[in-house]
Amino acid sequence: MKMGDGQAAMVRMESIVKRRGQADGGFELRVPELRVDTGEVVALIGESGCGKSTLLDLIALILAPTSARRFTLHLAGKSAGQDLAALWARGDEGALAALRRETLGYIPQTGGLLSFLSVRENIRLPCRIKGVSLADRELETLAKRLGVAECLDRKPHALSIGQRQRVAILRAIAHGPRLLLADEPTAALDKPRARAVLADMNALARQQHLAVVVVTHDLDLLAEHVDRVYTFDLERLSESETRSTCRALDDAKRVIA
Amino acid sequence: MKTHRPGHARLVPALAAAHLRHDWILTLCLVIALTAVIAPLLVLLGLKHGTIETLRERLVEDPVYRELRPTQTQPYSEDWFAQVAAWPGVAFLTPTILPLSSVVQVVRADETTSLFDLIPTAAGDPFLLENGAPVPGEDEVVLTAEAARLSGVAVGDRLRVRVSRTRGGRSENVQVELKVVGVLPIGAGTLTRLYAPLAFVLDVESYKEGYAAARRGWPGDTPDPYPSFDGVVLLLDEPLSPIVRTGAIIQTGFARIGEITRDQAETLLGLPIPQRLHAYDLSTPNTPVTQSNIRAIQTKLRGREPLLLPYVRDLELIGADGRPWRPAGLSVDAEQAARLDLPPVPWGGFQARRERAEELTSVLWPVDAESNADADTRQEADDSLAVTSAGRAELSFMLHPQGPSPLSEPLVPIELLGILRTAQDRAVTYVASSGRFEMQRAGYRGFRLYAASLEDVPRLYRRLREQGLEVDAAIEAIERIQVLDGGATRLFWLIALLGLCGGTAVLVASLYAAVDRLRAELGIIRLLGLSRAHVAFFPIVEGLMIAALSLAVSFGAYAALAAVINRSFANELAPDERFCALPASLIAPIVLTTLLLACLAALVAAWRSTNIDPSEVVRAD
Repeated sequence: MKMGDGQAAMVRMESIVKRRGQADGGFELRVPELRVDTGEVVALIGESGCGKSTLLDLIALILAPTSARRFTLHLAGKSAGQDLAALWARGDEGALAALRRETLGYIPQTGGLLSFLSVRENIRLPCRIKGVSLADRELETLAKRLGVAECLDRKPHALSIGQRQRVAILRAIAHGPRLLLADEPTAALDKPRARAVLADMNALARQQHLAVVVVTHDLDLLAEHVDRVYTFDLERLSESETRSTCRALDDAKRVIA
Repeated sequence: MKTHRPGHARLVPALAAAHLRHDWILTLCLVIALTAVIAPLLVLLGLKHGTIETLRERLVEDPVYRELRPTQTQPYSEDWFAQVAAWPGVAFLTPTILPLSSVVQVVRADETTSLFDLIPTAAGDPFLLENGAPVPGEDEVVLTAEAARLSGVAVGDRLRVRVSRTRGGRSENVQVELKVVGVLPIGAGTLTRLYAPLAFVLDVESYKEGYAAARRGWPGDTPDPYPSFDGVVLLLDEPLSPIVRTGAIIQTGFARIGEITRDQAETLLGLPIPQRLHAYDLSTPNTPVTQSNIRAIQTKLRGREPLLLPYVRDLELIGADGRPWRPAGLSVDAEQAARLDLPPVPWGGFQARRERAEELTSVLWPVDAESNADADTRQEADDSLAVTSAGRAELSFMLHPQGPSPLSEPLVPIELLGILRTAQDRAVTYVASSGRFEMQRAGYRGFRLYAASLEDVPRLYRRLREQGLEVDAAIEAIERIQVLDGGATRLFWLIALLGLCGGTAVLVASLYAAVDRLRAELGIIRLLGLSRAHVAFFPIVEGLMIAALSLAVSFGAYAALAAVINRSFANELAPDERFCALPASLIAPIVLTTLLLACLAALVAAWRSTNIDPSEVVRAD
């Protein structure tokens, strides 16, 4: 479901810089402009070390921008947007944590399941953190859809990598987030399996009207679902200094094709 | 924005518990490590407390430690006993008598005897009661274990007790049978002692001092002091031939009889002697003359109309104004007075014991002395004269003037002077209420005092010493326990400190390592929307849970070990005593301290957990 340009952007970034490493050297990510609209699937593509994950962590509110002209989160149904740049500047850890649990779902590269909780408890955890309830039936329906219904009462270490990723997807959306962030969710899977997992993720996201930001290097796996693509231009400024600039790929569909 | 939902207060502990359950081997190791520290400390504390408490309670239970004993014999008045018995902290007080007066002979079945100490007791005597013996009543006795062994009697038997004395050079004794109502355990002392009611002990004392105990039918003197004299002046109308004179004193107790001049007689008697009378002095060197001597000579000289006037030499009375005066003494009936050319005296003839007490303290005051200071004294004293007489014990008493003296000196009954002379050898008291003189009893020379509690002992000890009494009490034993307690407490704390340091170090290291191993997972929890503060709470909750589990196991281990210890020492312990005992009041502080230390130990790990950056750990594999 593609939203028009007139719609307010859900996430908006303008002139954001994230530096890593020492001031005299290191890595600098520049985001002149980025937006994620409600219900949109945004892909971040690029080679290793270009800062895709850094950008994802900025959006996931777990990494503080070094500087930001504008960084807002605007949720449909709420008139006022959140000034994320200001929250980071204030160091309002509590408010950022609250935004994470209220609006975000995150699928880490390797699943990021808690080893000491069962699959069921892992899936329920964001709900408990958010303070919402998730009926067993609903959980089991979702699990069935993702093909992990039979491993709900196992511990994560008893699951295959593919199952773990599916559980991670389930956990990321179970508490009803508005924005789903996925960091190469299929990196550890073979192509057919990756395709299936991504298809499931997209189907669920569409169904729940989630915006999705997905980091990937296999754009072709996503091609049919992607609304917007951002890529990175890597410059080597010096021996130790690298700068990466994020840029929208206007003709994304064509590129993929 | 709401950052702390109520659910999070339970969520973090739930996650921590899930982690501990998941990593149960590690949890078990930690619990065992902490238990290995806490349980021995509990046992140590229990042992320290139990042994000290047992020692203390043994002191409390053994009345000997609550006794305050006088170390010197000295007289104590009835008033003193009444007053001290009312002191707070005094549980029991009874007078005791001179140790020598309380020795009795116990006669065994085979007629052999042993000397036993007789100790007075009374209702409520804690020494008897707490040693399981009843307080003996009239004609009953309680024996120490050694006394029972030596006398060969047991509870219910009758004990023959012989009280002996020497009176007038003759040995006398009385015997009484007492019922044995109790035998003290060996622990109550190894001396051969009989415990009997104070009244019996006083009877024994009286008898040993030569008096009668009328209540028991024991013969002896009355407590009335007997008059004694330095000699007797014999006045006769006709002189005695030397042969008669010598024969007259045979078997009268007098050793000497000598003719004396009228002047000499007047000096001895303080009386004018009519010229027609012949005077003789009868005496025995160094031996007082008593009524029986006078009676004997009277019998011997029957028919010769003897006038026997006892005299006392060198006796002074001190008036209320401090001036000494020397009264003359004369007790004669009207006929005898006429022979002496004197008016009759109001108190009549010589009587060794007078029914009317005030007769003895009568005085005839010289008329020509009216004008001096004595008159004023007399007036003020409401017609009574307060005088004192030096003696074995100073005697103060009142003289009652009965009229003018026919002499230039005050005139008193000769028996009064005789009693005052006796008072120079034996202690005599004047009982103001009855107006009588009495031979003074040996009286109370000590006491048995028991404090109500150990804590009362030092206070009573100080109070008695403030009165100038030398007393002995188990102050040192009580203080020894306190010193032992202090030492054991210090030792315990040293060991506890060592143990607590070790236990805390174990927790610090383990929780830190746990947080380090959980970095990724704690990062995910942060990513899922918990703040740093929530995540910091995670190791603290784990520390508390491990500490709580360890405490539970430790108390269990302690209970088991304490039971074993108490059982293995059961032989040395009384039924209620325990060698290893934790007072309930210490349990809460132990639990709180342990949990507090666990919290402190977890703080390092908590600080470590707040440094976890989710963005660093979500991709770490």
